Amino acid sequence: MHELSLVGAVVESLEEMAREKGWKKVTKVTLRIGRMRQVIPEVMVFSFSVVTEGTIMEGSSLEILEVPVTSRCSFCGEEWEGLSFLCPRCGSGQVETASGMELDLESVEVEE
Amino acid sequence: MSRRIAIQRSVMAADEKIAEKIRKDLSKKGVLMLNLIGSPGSGKTALLEWTLKDPLFRSVVLEGDVATSRDAERIARTGTPVVQINTRGGCHLEANLVEKALESLEMDGVDVIFVENVGNLVCPAEFDLGEDYKVALCSVPEGPDKPLKYPHLFMRAEAVLLTKVDLLEHLDFDRDLFWKDVKELNPRAERLEVSPLRGDGMSDWVSLVQGWVKAKRP
Repeated sequence: MHELSLVGAVVESLEEMAREKGWKKVTKVTLRIGRMRQVIPEVMVFSFSVVTEGTIMEGSSLEILEVPVTSRCSFCGEEWEGLSFLCPRCGSGQVETASGMELDLESVEVEE
Repeated sequence: MSRRIAIQRSVMAADEKIAEKIRKDLSKKGVLMLNLIGSPGSGKTALLEWTLKDPLFRSVVLEGDVATSRDAERIARTGTPVVQINTRGGCHLEANLVEKALESLEMDGVDVIFVENVGNLVCPAEFDLGEDYKVALCSVPEGPDKPLKYPHLFMRAEAVLLTKVDLLEHLDFDRDLFWKDVKELNPRAERLEVSPLRGDGMSDWVSLVQGWVKAKRP
């Protein structure tokens, strides 16, 4: 399951940042995850609790902000919710995913 | 006292950086990289075996599997340089693994790197390896509903290959539904029907790759 691999990447990232900035403890981690990402929040939370054991993130809470999927027509600029592949306004097929692909470390709460 | 610090950076930032580095490197050298993604048994290795038996371009292959070097052994029999990457449980390849594998290959004069990803329709689509294109494979026995069930891959593929079409006469596979769904998800993708076993569509596949190789040359 790649939730474990993603959590591993988060922990590695944060450990590096903690070393650079001299954080004593991380108490909360907030991730922004788009709904197109095939990530199961419950699995992320569980993996997080396991992977952070023994690190300065141990015992911290994981918050996941889910971002809805929206599409945008690169021809006329129309935006809409969901994944349809023809623009509902102009009918063009030049559609891109505007949101829903995020996999971002949004913020942390730390003790310094 | 806790303090909130905004970060707003991609979780996969480190791996994405490596993918970008690979991409820039290969662009400079004019080498094409293709990321072949499909279920276990979709015919990825068989496609490569046929492509490489009498190749019109100089290739190297990276084989991604959880375990064994069976696929690499099959490719080695074609005389093509190949590296087996074993993820030992990982369900997809990542750029850092590709970077390491490429370090052990002689890249002088190479036209194309074929990366055969771990058999999986889910995760590999999300991890950028620095490739030029993702090629999605779906075989006839898997059924025609896979594109809509795994939209992420099929939306991002440059080409979609329906494989094992030699089995169409034996199975109840709705070809029209399959291609209708693929077109809906990805109207711009190249669409090919192939059978490495019988040879159907294989010259079209090779021409497609040749076109990509030519376009990549600096």
